[in-house]
Amino acid sequence: MSTMEGTKRVAYFKGCLASMSAKELDTSTQALAPRVGLELVELESVTCCGAGDIHEAEPDYYLHLNARILAYAEAAGCDTLLTVCNVCTLNLRQANFMLQGDKELRERVNKNLRSVGVPAYGGEVDVRHLLWEIAEGPGYERLKEAAHKGLKGLKVAPFYGCQILRPSKIMGFEDPDRPWSLERIIEACGGEAIDYPAKIKCCGFPIIQAREETALGELIQPVEQAMEAGADVMVTPCPLCHLSLDAWQQKLEAATGRKFDMPVLHLAQLVGVAAGLEDSELKFKRHIVDPRPALEKLQV
Amino acid sequence: MQVALKIWRYDSSSGERALREYEIDAPEEATLLDCLDIVKDRHDGSLAYRKSCRMMICGSCGMRMDGAAVLACKTRMYDIAQEGRVPVVSAMGNLPIVKDLVVDMDPFWEKFKAIKPYLQPGYDQPEDGREYHIDQPRMNVIHKEALCINCGCCVSECNSMESDPDFLGPQALAKGMRFVGDPRDAATVERLEELSGEHGIWECTRCFFCNERCPKGVDPRDAIAKLGAEAIAHGIDRDMGAKHAKWFIRSTETTGWLRETELVPKTQGVVSSVKQMKFAINLARHSKAGLEFPPHVAKDVKEARDLRKLVRTQDRPGALGHVQGERALAQLAHGYTEGERDPYGPGSVPMPYLPGEGSAGGQGSLTQADVTPGAEPTKKPEGGA
Repeated sequence: MSTMEGTKRVAYFKGCLASMSAKELDTSTQALAPRVGLELVELESVTCCGAGDIHEAEPDYYLHLNARILAYAEAAGCDTLLTVCNVCTLNLRQANFMLQGDKELRERVNKNLRSVGVPAYGGEVDVRHLLWEIAEGPGYERLKEAAHKGLKGLKVAPFYGCQILRPSKIMGFEDPDRPWSLERIIEACGGEAIDYPAKIKCCGFPIIQAREETALGELIQPVEQAMEAGADVMVTPCPLCHLSLDAWQQKLEAATGRKFDMPVLHLAQLVGVAAGLEDSELKFKRHIVDPRPALEKLQV
Repeated sequence: MQVALKIWRYDSSSGERALREYEIDAPEEATLLDCLDIVKDRHDGSLAYRKSCRMMICGSCGMRMDGAAVLACKTRMYDIAQEGRVPVVSAMGNLPIVKDLVVDMDPFWEKFKAIKPYLQPGYDQPEDGREYHIDQPRMNVIHKEALCINCGCCVSECNSMESDPDFLGPQALAKGMRFVGDPRDAATVERLEELSGEHGIWECTRCFFCNERCPKGVDPRDAIAKLGAEAIAHGIDRDMGAKHAKWFIRSTETTGWLRETELVPKTQGVVSSVKQMKFAINLARHSKAGLEFPPHVAKDVKEARDLRKLVRTQDRPGALGHVQGERALAQLAHGYTEGERDPYGPGSVPMPYLPGEGSAGGQGSLTQADVTPGAEPTKKPEGGA
């Protein structure tokens, strides 16, 4: 849905992390949005998507919780629900396909929604991650214009994480084994995309509290490989991957006795740097590994 | 048609490894397995691989092509040959290689046996002595899980198992669900207790590689989610993973958003979380996982609370909550619609990973077995966390 020429009006689902531990993701997304042709409509009544956790533990509640979010996005007059987190994207897209593909199920869920005062969901919303909005189409064209400051000389390791790629039948944007979207954005911003095998693998975050040792065995791969490949920074479209990659590096240090200091940027921050966003919008001081020294080479 | 293949040859007795290229003439309908047969018959009789039924039933010919686990007999080569690609074929991951494309399946079968893949008797026999009838809704619970052919493609790419080889893994857990969901099985609770152990349900990292790779549509990750739902519905929720999940539920009912400050003590218990204090203080210094004041509360959060209360009276507990969505999801085909870019075309970013080519190696970890067959798989960081 467009309001003015070239601007797409979308419902904005920021999710838990961008509301709390990763506020820097929210501020940089809000600041970047108009520059890439997105008008964000904030939804007041929405809740957490349940991560994979409620989906696993109480699947019927998960479906209703996500139907409620979709219903409020639709009620706001938006045909796109914009996400900035892999896990939110999977949860919402999966629930959406369940509701769109099964009329009987949708009717049951809608009856429940109405009975507690939530508008019914008509099935007319598409859930899309910011990454997809700016990797092709009008968003990509706007991105190329917006990224005027560029990232010249910056070596960036893209880290996709899992749930923006798999299951491909629910995500369906790009080849889950050979994704290209982050690389394309990095290059459009003038940076150099670094290649390494673990960029499509798991960061370990879903089990980082319940099975920390196993999670660290997953986390070490992308961080180590990005360092070995000579990356200045990593970039990820997921705040959970971000938290794992950024904050848990100190645990990798403790476990291995080696030094880990790889800065990790949210996607909106990386593009934000290229687009000249303010420090107050990028909020790098909220990172555990400070990216500012690595970004200093862009100043000269 | 002309088909070119690169095959990772490996001999575990000598430790010798080499990437060999073969060019063969194959019929247009040839599968990868047909091509391997041609290589073995006409070019190099020493090539080792497993096969039996040739029709996607026996599960013998699991292997990797370009780093992704496939059934060789299900993989048509026509498009690949037309594109002029030279795929790299290697052994499956997460299992020791015996020779070339043959892996040692013993660790796989050990886990398979560990979940007792047979009915535990104790159900009520029909009085008339006739067969036991399971109604369709109950059969639907394990319909997908019953499709498993034990090929190991899911295990090959399991990210948790790569980090912890003792993880039961997607195949054994999906098989576990096949019996947990069977109304004739008398050991549901005991099974859920066992599967909720250290290397069970809650060690799955939700990377979804298993769903992506399964050639039979079992969707092992979905089966693991069913087990999680069944465990919680049966009150088997002592594991930290289950507690973690329950805290999300509590959060959505109270503030609507994850109450992340309390997540660690609620998951790990107060004593363990005190040990995390130094880590937590460092996070707090960067305004992460700190206390919010006033707390971030979603508008109309009572609706979420009411919804939970309501659906809990509606007879879709545990796995049934997952099953109700399967009909819609079954309409979606695996795959993707490529955008403006051809990942194999000129100027594609990055070049597709081909195991063993270049310094970076194949999809997966640099030290994964398909990259340098016989090499040690990725290990956990020394000394643990």
